[in-house]
Amino acid sequence: MKITNEIKDSTIIITLDGELDASSSVILDEELSNPEIMKFSKILVNCENLHYISSAGLGVFISHLQRFEDAQIKLIFFNMQDKVRNVFEILGLDLLMTIVSNYEEAMTIADE
Amino acid sequence: MLTKINTTYLLITTAVISWALLLANLLLTAESLQQQELSEPMLPYIHNILLVIFIVSVFLAQRNSVLNLRKTDFLGYLWHFFLKAAIGAYIALAIYIAYVLSTDFIQITSPVLLHLVYHTFFGLLVVFLGKGFYIWRQLLLYHKNKFLQIAWDWFELLLFGTLLLTLLNFDYTSYIFLPLLALLAFYILFLCTNLKWVAYLNFNKKSRALVLLGAILLSCYIFLWFFYEFKSNTQLATDYTHVGFLLLAMLFVGLYGLAAFLVSLFSLPTSSVFEQKSEDLLNFQRLSQSIQQGQSEQQVYDTVFDSTVKASAASAGWLELDKGTEKQISHMLNITKEQIERIRHLLLAFKYDTDHINNNLDRNPGFKELELPWQSLVILPIKSLKHQFGVLYLLKDIENGFDRETVNVLQTFTNQTTLTIENLRLVAESLQNERYKEELKIASTVQENLIPKTFPSDSWFEISTHAIAAKEVGGDFYDFLQLSESRIAIIIGDVSGKGITAAFHMAQMKGIFHGLMQQDMAPSEFMRQANSALSRCLERTSFITSSLYIIDYRMKGFVFARAGHCHTLYYNAMMQDTFYFQTDGLGLGIIRDQSYKNHIREMFYDYNPSDVMVIYTDGIVEARAENSNEEYGEERLRYMLEQCYHLEAEDIKFAIINDLQTFTGPNTIYDDQTLLVIKFKADQQTV
Repeated sequence: MKITNEIKDSTIIITLDGELDASSSVILDEELSNPEIMKFSKILVNCENLHYISSAGLGVFISHLQRFEDAQIKLIFFNMQDKVRNVFEILGLDLLMTIVSNYEEAMTIADE
Repeated sequence: MLTKINTTYLLITTAVISWALLLANLLLTAESLQQQELSEPMLPYIHNILLVIFIVSVFLAQRNSVLNLRKTDFLGYLWHFFLKAAIGAYIALAIYIAYVLSTDFIQITSPVLLHLVYHTFFGLLVVFLGKGFYIWRQLLLYHKNKFLQIAWDWFELLLFGTLLLTLLNFDYTSYIFLPLLALLAFYILFLCTNLKWVAYLNFNKKSRALVLLGAILLSCYIFLWFFYEFKSNTQLATDYTHVGFLLLAMLFVGLYGLAAFLVSLFSLPTSSVFEQKSEDLLNFQRLSQSIQQGQSEQQVYDTVFDSTVKASAASAGWLELDKGTEKQISHMLNITKEQIERIRHLLLAFKYDTDHINNNLDRNPGFKELELPWQSLVILPIKSLKHQFGVLYLLKDIENGFDRETVNVLQTFTNQTTLTIENLRLVAESLQNERYKEELKIASTVQENLIPKTFPSDSWFEISTHAIAAKEVGGDFYDFLQLSESRIAIIIGDVSGKGITAAFHMAQMKGIFHGLMQQDMAPSEFMRQANSALSRCLERTSFITSSLYIIDYRMKGFVFARAGHCHTLYYNAMMQDTFYFQTDGLGLGIIRDQSYKNHIREMFYDYNPSDVMVIYTDGIVEARAENSNEEYGEERLRYMLEQCYHLEAEDIKFAIINDLQTFTGPNTIYDDQTLLVIKFKADQQTV
């Protein structure tokens, strides 16, 4: 699992590369728990190379969901593979989180 | 068959008989000597044969008895030699004194008596030589090598060969044999250099060995003196000093005894060094064996403190153990707590930490001020790369008390201690792990009991279940509750994560299921209340997916709600269609407030006989083969049901599990797997 950050104005783009399992979700949790992240108004998660997400990985996003919502930070997933999207959908997360097909769409939604 | 003991008895009997015959022959010769003035003994060849028989039988008897001897130490051999043979010399001395007194004062001169005395001496001498010869053999061959063994065997052979000279009545002093005998004497000298056993005696034993060896050497001298004393006696019919064998044997016994005596004497001052070394070795051994003997760390520290104090002959010292951040003094010798404190303060002030040697404390103004009675100090840490266990301080009342050699030995001790302590801790740790494993096993059994093994068998449906946990305990669960005569609630769930945490949440969920469903509520209401209950106890990152089904066979229908759980696979027998129920529903514990009720839906469905419902957890559809990214998937599961819906519930389950295991290969369970197959039946009988 490789997690990289890219900052564009008030937007942070987190790129997930590989499998988000129990061990790598700890790193992601650290990343999202960083107080610096609350300075951004948008968090875009690039899931293009995310092959697999475990329940622990989902748990990390779920645990931060409420916090971001309260701070009015938008959390947007884009470029998600069908397999991973299916996991989000089964759990019902697609109705709670914003999942869009590509980067442009993500930027448009984020700017709304 | 001759046993060893029998052989010995036979040899002794032969020896006694031949000795008696020799005596008889001697007396006979003496008799004729007086009458006929003959200088040769009568029947010289018979005399020689008897002589050889006597010597050989005594030596062989001694050989047997000594080889059977099992002494644990060298002193035992020396004692045996002294008590069983060398004492003969003193008996002979007593007899001689008695003889001289009787001849001198009572004026009895009898050739018979003279010969009897002389011959007795001879017998005692041969026994002495035989015993000595083989006792020395045992000692000489201690730590032998092949060369030494061969050298000895040849020596023994050559020595017995010289008996031939006697047998054939050759004069060994003739110029032909003299060089040969001289060579043999050199051979003896060479053999006498093999004295390895002396090194193994400690100071005490060496002193005792010296006394015994002295007594033995004295015996040698007494015997020699006798025979040369008697040699001049013209009345004697024979002279045993002419027997080359005896001379050589005497040379060997005497020389080896002398060599042993001298070596013991001169190694006496250095023996304490060897003693210390061998004690060090023993202590090392004790340290390294303390694990097998189940000793505690305390005992290991006891050993190392005692051993190092002894090894360095330290006059004072103490051992500090690191207990967390504190240092605790566990051992003290000839030093007070106050002195320790003062030395410690000084060391801190000088920033001497560990690994420090000061062989001249008086030159250090700080130490001089303390006015301690010691001159040398060595500080040795007991530590591994990662961990410090303690520090050893040793003090000596002389300058340069700790030389390089001593410090090396001390370091070896501390290193060995480190190893031992680390190993002890490893052993303890593995025991602890073993206990955890045992407890996990118990947890596993407890959890297994939480999952029902048998469903109520009924005529209107069949149910078959399959559950494997990836680890000892898992997060998957299913359960049922008979709500009324015609209604049954079935729940399946999956707690996020694995292991103990998941297992606890799973047990919680089971409790919630039984608690809430007593009140018989709709599945969506159940999910809402379960979500509310779980919100208070689930960890931040944990959630549970679940599906609850209430089947009413009187109404031939079921109602269910899906809380983020895998979609239910269904085969409709009427329409001959296999599909997934596509319903919405959010997992439990994701939204932890009242708004959850907006995220859960309920669905009613009327079933037909022969319909099949497949309920499972994500461990099934997300199963992967080793090193592969491809998941088993919903499509494949649906395809399997299409192929085998006509089978019994049990067989459908086996078909799916077999296909799954073929797909993943053996031993590749990454996640808990649970599968329930329910087949509705046509024939309904109300109870």
